[in-house]
Amino acid sequence: MAKFIVIGERIHCISPVIREAMEKRDPAPILQRAKEQLDAGATYIDVNIGPAENDGEDLMKWAVTTIQNEFDNVPLALDTANKAAIEAGISVYNRAKGKPIVNSADAGDRLSYIDLAAANDAIVIALCSAGSVPADVDERMAFCQQMLEHGMTLGMEAEDLWFDPLFLVAKGMQEQQKAIMESIRQFTEMGLNTTGGLSNVSNGMPKNMRPIMDSTMVAMCMAMGLTSAIVNPCDQRLMEAVKSADILLDNSLYADSYLEL
Amino acid sequence: MALTGIQIFKMTPKKNCKECGSPTCMAFSMKVAQGAADISACPHMSEEALATLADATAPPMKTIKIGAGDAEYTLGGETVLYRHEKTFVSRPRYAVAICSCMDDATIDAKLEGLKKVDYERIGERMYVELIYVNYSAEDGQDKYLDIVKKAAATGRTLVLECTDEAVAKAALDICKDSKPVLNGATAANAEAMNAVATEAGVVLGVSGADLNEIYDTIAKLEGLGNKNLVVDVTGADVKTTFANAVQLRRAAIKDGDRTCGYPSIVKVAKLAKDDKYLQEALAALFTMKYGSIIVLQDMDYDQALPLYGLRQNVFTDPQKPMTVEPGIYPINGGDENSLCLTTVDFALTYFVVSGELERSGVPCNLLISDAGGMSVLTAWAAGKLSSGTIAKFIEEQVKDKVSCRKLVIPGKVAVLKGDLEAKLPDWEIIVAPNEATQLVKFMKEMA
Amino acid sequence: MPFNQKPQKFSAKINTVTIGTGDKAISLGGESVLPFYTFDGDIENAPKVGVEITDNGIDDSLPGIKAFYDGCASVADMAKKASQMEGADFVVLTLVGGDPNGDNKSVEDLVAIVKEVVAAVDCPLVVKGCSNVEKDAALLPKVAEACQGTNALIMSAKEENYKAVGASVGLAYDLNMGAESAVDINLAKQLNVISTQLGVKADRIAMDVGTAAVGYGYEYVVSAMDRIRGAALSQDDATLQMPIITPVANDSWNVKEAVASEEDFPEWGPREERGIGMEIMTAASDLVSGSNAVILRHPQSVATIAKMVKELV
Repeated sequence: MAKFIVIGERIHCISPVIREAMEKRDPAPILQRAKEQLDAGATYIDVNIGPAENDGEDLMKWAVTTIQNEFDNVPLALDTANKAAIEAGISVYNRAKGKPIVNSADAGDRLSYIDLAAANDAIVIALCSAGSVPADVDERMAFCQQMLEHGMTLGMEAEDLWFDPLFLVAKGMQEQQKAIMESIRQFTEMGLNTTGGLSNVSNGMPKNMRPIMDSTMVAMCMAMGLTSAIVNPCDQRLMEAVKSADILLDNSLYADSYLEL
Repeated sequence: MALTGIQIFKMTPKKNCKECGSPTCMAFSMKVAQGAADISACPHMSEEALATLADATAPPMKTIKIGAGDAEYTLGGETVLYRHEKTFVSRPRYAVAICSCMDDATIDAKLEGLKKVDYERIGERMYVELIYVNYSAEDGQDKYLDIVKKAAATGRTLVLECTDEAVAKAALDICKDSKPVLNGATAANAEAMNAVATEAGVVLGVSGADLNEIYDTIAKLEGLGNKNLVVDVTGADVKTTFANAVQLRRAAIKDGDRTCGYPSIVKVAKLAKDDKYLQEALAALFTMKYGSIIVLQDMDYDQALPLYGLRQNVFTDPQKPMTVEPGIYPINGGDENSLCLTTVDFALTYFVVSGELERSGVPCNLLISDAGGMSVLTAWAAGKLSSGTIAKFIEEQVKDKVSCRKLVIPGKVAVLKGDLEAKLPDWEIIVAPNEATQLVKFMKEMA
Repeated sequence: MPFNQKPQKFSAKINTVTIGTGDKAISLGGESVLPFYTFDGDIENAPKVGVEITDNGIDDSLPGIKAFYDGCASVADMAKKASQMEGADFVVLTLVGGDPNGDNKSVEDLVAIVKEVVAAVDCPLVVKGCSNVEKDAALLPKVAEACQGTNALIMSAKEENYKAVGASVGLAYDLNMGAESAVDINLAKQLNVISTQLGVKADRIAMDVGTAAVGYGYEYVVSAMDRIRGAALSQDDATLQMPIITPVANDSWNVKEAVASEEDFPEWGPREERGIGMEIMTAASDLVSGSNAVILRHPQSVATIAKMVKELV
C-alpha cells in the first residue's frame, strides 16, 4: 500500500490574506503557506480560488505556475466552481510529480467535472452526494456506483476517481459518523481510493480540542482504508496520527525517527 | 485475460438487489475483478456471462503436477511475486541434461553421477529430481528411445525435449506411466504435439522464438482445451531468458493474465554450456526468479550444497520457522566425554552455533531441545526454553548417553543458571558468551 | 494476439553513489527498475564486483587464491594484483586485524597499510572496519584521513558509531560512507535517517544491509532486500533509496560447506570448489534481490559474477 496522501487545505480564498494575495497577484503569502504545508508533510497542495467568475482562468494559471515553479512541480488540487478555470490551470500544469486533482465532482450538478478530469487525464474527487447530505451508507454507495460507472465509461481508471464520503460535523451529526466510516470500508473493498474534507468532523468544537478529534478520526478512517484527506498539515497532532497509522498499516517502513520524516 | 470491474459490471443485472451481499452491482463487480468475491454469489447472471467470467476468476497461476508416485512434483500455483507477501508454494525442481547426441559412456556416467547427490538437510531430501532428455534428430529415433529407457530406469521423472511428434509418441510409449513432461510444442507443431501429449496424459512444454510466439502458442493450446502446460522460457541468451521468466510470472500474478500462468522451464545448461560456474550463478538466479524446472549439465556436491540450501530457504513459509530435530549432535568428533552445549531448535540458530563450534575445532556435543522453532530470547520469553524444559530434556534424552557433566547454556539466558543448578545437581552449568561469534574463542579457552 | 507487455517503471529512483576518481571511478545505483529488469527500463549502472583482501593478506589455504597472488610481497602488492583481477571493478580492504578479540593491531599500523594500498591502486577503493564498534570508531576516522582525495567508500558505520564515522568520512573528508545493519530493515532505514540528519549527504551513503550465505537463513536476506527495494521504488521512500553494497565473501567462506575438509567429507569433493559455489550463488542471489555491488574473494567467483552481470544488463 502507498503512503497516506495529505492534501494541504490552507491555500483557500476564504482566508483574507490569501484572497488579497490572489486579487493582487502577490506570490509571497501564497508561497509561504505552500512552504509551511510542504515542510509539515503535505503531498498535494489544494488551491482554492473561490468562485472566481471573472478572471478565474487567468488566476488559476497564475497560481499553478507560481507554486509549481517555486516548489519543484509540487502536485496540486485545483479547487473552484469555475470549470473553465480548472481547465486553464491544467493547461499550464506540470505532471512530473503527479497528476492534477480536480476538486471536485459530485453525483448532481457537478457530475460533468468527471468529464473534465477524463478529458484531461486528471484525478477527480468524487463527492458522494447530489447536493444534500446523503442519508446513509446505501445512498453513498449508489452515488459512488453512478460516478464510477460514469468515469469508467469515459475511459478513466478507477484509481483516478477519489471518493469522498462527505465528512460531517460530529457535534450535531454524531449518528452519521459510523456511516461515513462504513462507506470508506466499502469503497476500499472495491479497491477504490478515498479522500475528503476530514476536519469537518471537528467543526464548531473548541479550538484546542479540534486536533484531538481530527487525529482520532483520521486514524479510525485510515483503519477503514482511507487513502487521502484534505486537511491542515500544520496540525502536528494530526500529522503524527497519520504517520503512525502509516506505520501500522505497513504503508511505510518503521524507523525510530519516523515522526521526523 | 482478466476483466476489469466495469466489464463485469456491464454483465450484471444492475438491479442493486444486494442478494450477493454487496451494496451495489458496481461494488460487487469491482470485488469480483480483484478476486475478492466469487461471481457465483450473484443469482441473476446469465449463463453466457458466467462462462465469460469463469476464466477471469480462475487462480492466476495453474498448479501443474508432473511425475508419478513418490516422484510426483507440484509446480506453479504461486499467488505472490515476493515471498514476504505471503509464501511461495512450489519449489523449483532441478534436472540434469542428457542428449542422444552424447556417446553411451557419457550418458552412463551422467546417469550414474546424478545419483551421487542424495542427502538430507533439515528434514528435506536433496537430490536431482528430474532428468532432461534431449532429442538429436541426427542421431535418430532408436538412439533416443534407448536413452529414454535408460533414464526412465533410474526412477527419476523425465522431461523429454523433442519436437518430432512421431519420436515423441514413441518415447512416451516407453515412459508415459511415470508422467514425464513432453517439452515439444512450438508454433509450427502445436496441434500435433497437443494430440500426442493429451493422448499420453502428460504435461506439454511450450517454446517459441519470443514471448509473443510463446503467448500465441499457449493461447492456441488452451483453445484446444489443453491447460496442462509448462513454458520453456529459455531464449537465445541469459537476458532474454530472464526477461521471459519474469514477465510471464508477473503478467500472471500481478496483471491476472491467465495465459501466462504456467510454470517455467529454464535450460541453464544451454545458456552457459560447459561453464560450470556460470551455470551455478544462473541456477541461483532462476531459483530466485522464477524458474520451475531448472536444467543443469551436471549436479555435484559443490553445486548442490549451496543451491539446495538456497532453495530450502527461499521456499520456506514465512509463517513457519524451519526447525531441526531435537537430539544430540556431536561436533568435531565429539563423544560421550565431550563438553555439552545447548541451544534452541530454530534452524538458523542451530546453523550459526554449530558453524562456530565447528570452526573452533573443539570436540563437543550440541544438545537441541524442542523450543518451538524460536530464537533463544523469544523461546525463553514464551516459556519454550526454561530451566524446566532443559532439565527435562537432559534427564530424558541426554544423561544416559553422555558421561560428561558440564553443560553450556546460551549467554542470553544466563538467568537460568541458578535454577538449572538446582534442577540438575550433578551438572556444572556454564554460561556461554552472548553472541555466537564469540564462541570460537570461548571454546578454545574451555578446551 | 501478442503478449501484453506492461513495463513496471517507477517514478522513484535509487541514488547514484560514485566511488573512486578518474577513468576507473564507478557509480552504484541510479536505476528506477528492479534488479536486472532491463525490459522495464534502462539500467544506467550495471552492478559492480569488488575483490576483498585483508590487512593480513589472503587465504592461502586455497590453491586458486594462492596461485593468483603468487609473488605478492605486501598487502599493497596484493591490492594492486586484486585490482587487475578479471571482472573486478573495485578493491576492498578489510581491516580484520584491528579486532581487539583477534590480532588487535594498532590504529597506526592499520592506517599505514591503508596508505600503502591507497598509493598502490588506481581503482576505486573500499575500506571495511574490523567489526568491533569501539575500535572502528577510533580507526575509521583515521582511515578516512588517509583516504582523502580518493573518493573512497568507508564501510562499517553502525548505529553505535555512525557519529564518529559519519563526521569524519562524510563531513570532514567528503568520502562515501557505508551504513551497516544486519538484515534489519528498520535499522537500515533509521541509520540512513540519522546519518543524513548528521549532515552526511544522501548521495554519499551506500547501505550494507548484510547477507547470509545461501542455506543459512537466506530467506531473511531476500525479504529484507525485497522490502527495501519495494519501499525505495514503489513507496518512493527517500530514506531507503541508497544503493546497496553487500560483503558476500566472509559469510560464504565461513559456513560448513566451505570450511569442512575433503578428508572429513570425501563425497563432497574439493573444499575450494564448494566455497566458490557458495560465493557465486550467494552473490547472484544478492544481486537479483537488490544489491548494487558485491564483495567477493575468489578469482573464479569474481570472473563468473562479472560475466553474469554483463549477460544480464
